[in-house]
Amino acid sequence: MNAITLRINDRAVSAEVEPRIHLADFLREDQLLTGTHIGCEHGVCGACTLMVDGRPVRSCLTFAAGCGDAEVRTIESFDDDPLMTRLRAAFSRHHALQCGFCTPGMLVTSYDIVRRLPHADEARIREELSGNLCRCTGYAGIVAAIQDVLSAPPAAPVQPLTRPAPTAPAAVMGAPAVTGATSRPSVAAPREEAPSPALPPLDGAITDGVTLTRAIPLDLPPDQVWALVQRIDAVVACLPGARLIGATSGEVLDGTFTIAIGPMRATFAGKAAVSFDAASRSGTVRGRGGDARSRSSADGAMGFRVAEGVAGGSRVEVDLTYRLKGPLAQFGRPAIVSGIIDRLLADFAANLTALAEGREGAVTTEPPSGFRLVLGALAARFRRLLGR
Amino acid sequence: MKPVAFDLTTATAAPHAVALLSNVDIEAKIIAGGQSLGPMLNLRLARPGHLIDVTRAKDLRGVVDEGSALLYGAAVTHAEIEDGAVPDATGGWLQAIASRIAYRAVRNRGTMGGSLVHADPAADWVVTLTALGAVAVIAGPGGAAREEPLSSFIAGPFTTTLKPGEILTGIRLAKRTADARWGYWKFTRKVGEFAKASAAVLIDPGAGDTRVVVGAIEQPPIILPAGDAEAVIAGRLPIEEALRRALPHRPPASLVLHAVAVREALGIAGAAGFPAQDQGAA
Repeated sequence: MNAITLRINDRAVSAEVEPRIHLADFLREDQLLTGTHIGCEHGVCGACTLMVDGRPVRSCLTFAAGCGDAEVRTIESFDDDPLMTRLRAAFSRHHALQCGFCTPGMLVTSYDIVRRLPHADEARIREELSGNLCRCTGYAGIVAAIQDVLSAPPAAPVQPLTRPAPTAPAAVMGAPAVTGATSRPSVAAPREEAPSPALPPLDGAITDGVTLTRAIPLDLPPDQVWALVQRIDAVVACLPGARLIGATSGEVLDGTFTIAIGPMRATFAGKAAVSFDAASRSGTVRGRGGDARSRSSADGAMGFRVAEGVAGGSRVEVDLTYRLKGPLAQFGRPAIVSGIIDRLLADFAANLTALAEGREGAVTTEPPSGFRLVLGALAARFRRLLGR
Repeated sequence: MKPVAFDLTTATAAPHAVALLSNVDIEAKIIAGGQSLGPMLNLRLARPGHLIDVTRAKDLRGVVDEGSALLYGAAVTHAEIEDGAVPDATGGWLQAIASRIAYRAVRNRGTMGGSLVHADPAADWVVTLTALGAVAVIAGPGGAAREEPLSSFIAGPFTTTLKPGEILTGIRLAKRTADARWGYWKFTRKVGEFAKASAAVLIDPGAGDTRVVVGAIEQPPIILPAGDAEAVIAGRLPIEEALRRALPHRPPASLVLHAVAVREALGIAGAAGFPAQDQGAA
């Protein structure tokens, strides 16, 4: 628990807060100020917008523990504010609300628009409102209400403030030592949780998938590469983040795949089906897995072919179709996933080459992490492999 | 949608943050405005054990005039740049960039340094500050300090060269003179969304800096080689051809939007032969 002192609606408040509690929950559940509405809870909808230090912020993306010495104003504090009184009346007159869920956030944003942009035209108002979603009105009434108030706006009593610098604990003055409060963390280090129950293997086509094609050059003869890729344990060992669970039964295998995307980390547990065609030195891998922690799932189908490369080497041609579902999909935009797959394939190629050359110790089995992948040698190799 | 439990410490200054980062014995992470990390925490996609809040660290909150350059504290917010509350090394370009990042409520908390360290390939600062030749100023354990050009600091999607224990303390940006020209254009399907394609153009004959940078791609922003950039600006090299050379593994059809971004940015920068645009056009 962290002790904080702040001002809420002109009232001094001292509280003990759990660090993970965001400001909206603290206000609603601890302070019983339920005028602040919580919608998406990840910064998209704007329903929880309120004033911190005279500026509108997303209270779902603001931790209460970080609000020490802050001046917080919720919709409840604007009852007698002349500008907000005008906005409320205009919202009512112009039918700027129906269900009212977005309204507290809309009013706070509108207040800021009127205060900050006295000359805003309709286009600018719409742009400024783009961070607050309303599913009822179609915005026309909200825009009209703001324009109405902008035609003769009263002065805004709430203005931006500069929060005083934090007072340093005595131990921190001069020598930056760690305070006692933080040297014994109250939270255990995050542990790897057991993988979620494996999903059945993927059947049928991946609809709405994203497809990538890549060619991986390898300094190894095609015969050797073809022999290697048929060793499922070797392939898995070369793929950073991949792990087999139990013995492989025929061509269906159980396993997990851990991937780090910046600060995010997901472990997909699932099944994959592998098939090979010796005549064309090609094969397919189809898999489906779920990550219990992020409640996300992934489907993937990969076709690969070992071809002759330059100077006696080979080229593995890969086409991959995947689809992400669940919260992770919000951050796994195609461009980001494609960058991560490039890094993965570059590492895979480096590891496979190391394995073939008998340098098994060099195999990287860690999941692809931002911190590790950037190390100079690997980055140079990556550029060379992708021909950049 | 509540984050997994973590500890949170408010750092009083950058050295305090660095000391905390090295001394808390669990997975610790710096948080500034939290406008990107916050959603990941709430969705439980990120699960750090300890957050170190640097938004109030005084030495990260100011701008230092170094003569030919300005050093922006990493925790200066987008809104402070948008409002002109801090000096602008570029005579207004930063203000225009900041004003189009996400939404005002996000800009009030989001920071320039946080955006760079988060290293989303589509982020405005990642692309524009690379084009402006910015330098990342980094502090590490035991008073260690180093600097690195942004062009190599951003190493991939959500990836920088920050080593464990290091934090970004500032961003150094050369002052630009009146004869320097600039254009930045991004394509978003909705105001405030992450860009699907973006490009920035710097033409500064006085400083001998010419840069054409393509962003919102699956890797760090692409800086066209100097010769290609000059040829594109002079109209001697088609944009599509320059992009094909820079990204040979990409099917040309996938670069159409990025070519448009370059063309628009060139127009905004006033390059001869490209349709003139308003700085605010998108």
